[in-house]
Amino acid sequence: MSEFITYLVTGIALGSSFALIGSGFVVVHRVTRVVNFAQGSLAVLGAMLSASLLAGRLPHVVGEMVTVVVCGLVGVLVGVVAIGKRGTPPLISLIVTLGVSMLFSAAIIWLWGQDPVSPPGLDGFTTILGAEVERQRLLVLVVTLVAFAGLSLFFSRTYLGKALTASASNPFAARLVGIDVRRMGLVAFGLSGVLGGLAGVLVAPSNALSFYSDLPMALGGFAAAVFGGLVSPLRTLVGGLGLGVAGQLTAGYLNGSYQTEVALLLMMVIMIARSRSFAHEEAK
Amino acid sequence: MTQMMSRVMSRARSRPQPRTLLVLLACAAACVAPLVLPDLTFFMRMVMAAIVVTGLSILMGYSGQASLGQGAFVAAGALTVAVGTTRFDLPPLLALLAAPAVAAGFAALVGVPLLRLHGHYLAFGTLALLLMVQTAMSTFDVLGGALGVSGIPPLGVGDRVVVGQLPYVYLALGCLGLVLLVSHRTVHSRFGRGIQALAGSQTAAESAGVPVNRSKVVIFALSAGFAGLAGALSAFFTPYVSPDSFPAAESFTFVIMAVVGGLGTIWGGVVGAVIVSVLLQVLNTISSQPGLPPTAAPIMQYATYGTLLVLALLFMPRGVVPSVDAGVGRLLTRPRVEVPG
Repeated sequence: MSEFITYLVTGIALGSSFALIGSGFVVVHRVTRVVNFAQGSLAVLGAMLSASLLAGRLPHVVGEMVTVVVCGLVGVLVGVVAIGKRGTPPLISLIVTLGVSMLFSAAIIWLWGQDPVSPPGLDGFTTILGAEVERQRLLVLVVTLVAFAGLSLFFSRTYLGKALTASASNPFAARLVGIDVRRMGLVAFGLSGVLGGLAGVLVAPSNALSFYSDLPMALGGFAAAVFGGLVSPLRTLVGGLGLGVAGQLTAGYLNGSYQTEVALLLMMVIMIARSRSFAHEEAK
Repeated sequence: MTQMMSRVMSRARSRPQPRTLLVLLACAAACVAPLVLPDLTFFMRMVMAAIVVTGLSILMGYSGQASLGQGAFVAAGALTVAVGTTRFDLPPLLALLAAPAVAAGFAALVGVPLLRLHGHYLAFGTLALLLMVQTAMSTFDVLGGALGVSGIPPLGVGDRVVVGQLPYVYLALGCLGLVLLVSHRTVHSRFGRGIQALAGSQTAAESAGVPVNRSKVVIFALSAGFAGLAGALSAFFTPYVSPDSFPAAESFTFVIMAVVGGLGTIWGGVVGAVIVSVLLQVLNTISSQPGLPPTAAPIMQYATYGTLLVLALLFMPRGVVPSVDAGVGRLLTRPRVEVPG
């Protein structure tokens, strides 16, 4: 039983990071129809940056906040490259962001080297139902839930959030009422940078990240986003948690090396099963 | 994309001379190069990349589908040779011939469910497929396991076997020629016109009687067959196949080459492969100079990939071949326009 709880909590923590990255995909895709391949790189950037800032004596919380803000700004830059030129088709933008993620890799190796980095997080363990659980992993879940609550409030209660939703549901009508759809796209990219940075900051203390982690992170996040059809943040959260738990249970009870494959297989099954409704969404 | 293609092609038909000359020149250069180049491994890798990218360029350009996991089919071809010759004692020549068929069959099999996906979903689906193939290779001992397959015999018939690198290079060049010919015949067939229509509008193509799903699977299998052929050649050239032989970064490189060369052009794959390979080789030489840190090589490689991809897509979205072709066409037609005026 205690084993099960450990796997569950680890899975939920991992799934939370998938959900955060996945919601970054969702936020950008809703507004711009672009899938931002650099989403995983933003998480790695967050991890590296927070490690350096915290080692440079910035106190906790402040160091993490600065990291997340910087990641948001970098996200806007990614957006400028990906959608800055008018009339770039979404699939070409995907390959552009693939190029951007390679530039990220170059920059990360240049600035931080090739070794995995793990910034300090919350130390110690808590006992839940007889199982020892790292406190950092619980923190990941709490922050993720807060972030998603904040995200849903942002979309439903603020002007900027409503403008984003308007641009997502009907870009033409949004432009008619005076919303700069292209600027909204950049805002979405910034938001995705914040979410990606947050994921990196939270995951890295328990799972060290290197420049090489961008692909697994991006794939995990995309798999979570697929559950939400690339449009629904809430279903992305559910999907991410499900994927994380399924992966950890496979790792724990069957074989440790297959957790990524389980996630990928689930993603493909869902994508293929729902391909008809995806096609409808894209046709709209 | 399709409109652009048909425009490029109609222009090409109207003035065949400079093109034919260029093609002959390229063929001559390719035949002489192996005799004078000091590093045949580099040349061989470039030719194999060109074979893969030619298929990918057709897949992406004509059917409008992106594959980020073309390495999965290179692996299928390489494994056919590696496992076929070492475990099942297949004659090497038979294994070489079987490899493209196995890769194409594999693609047709996974393509039926996978190709129901479009755009982003297919891109990620193919990438996921590559990662699963890697896991399968390192898990199942039949496919080599974590150690990989070594001891692949040289190509040959009976007692006469190929010695040295040079024959393989010419074999690969011959295969590239064959691949280009097959691509040309495919694109200019009834089936080829069908897939061009499909890239424009799937619904319109379907209502005009193009079997959409079957066409997509066929073109997917064709590009996979090319990739499998390249994989088989690489398994003979470097007689060792392991899960690490097919990194995701290599599949991304194929996409970069296809985009740089020009999607949906017969020669785009070759041009892209040559440009990107030569550039990387030059950068490798620079970054391995003494005095530079060991991280210089990966930094330069990633930075080049990224810069190339971003710049090529934003400023030369049609790729080198169509852009140069259009430029040359303008130069050639200008005097004719000025004469009547």
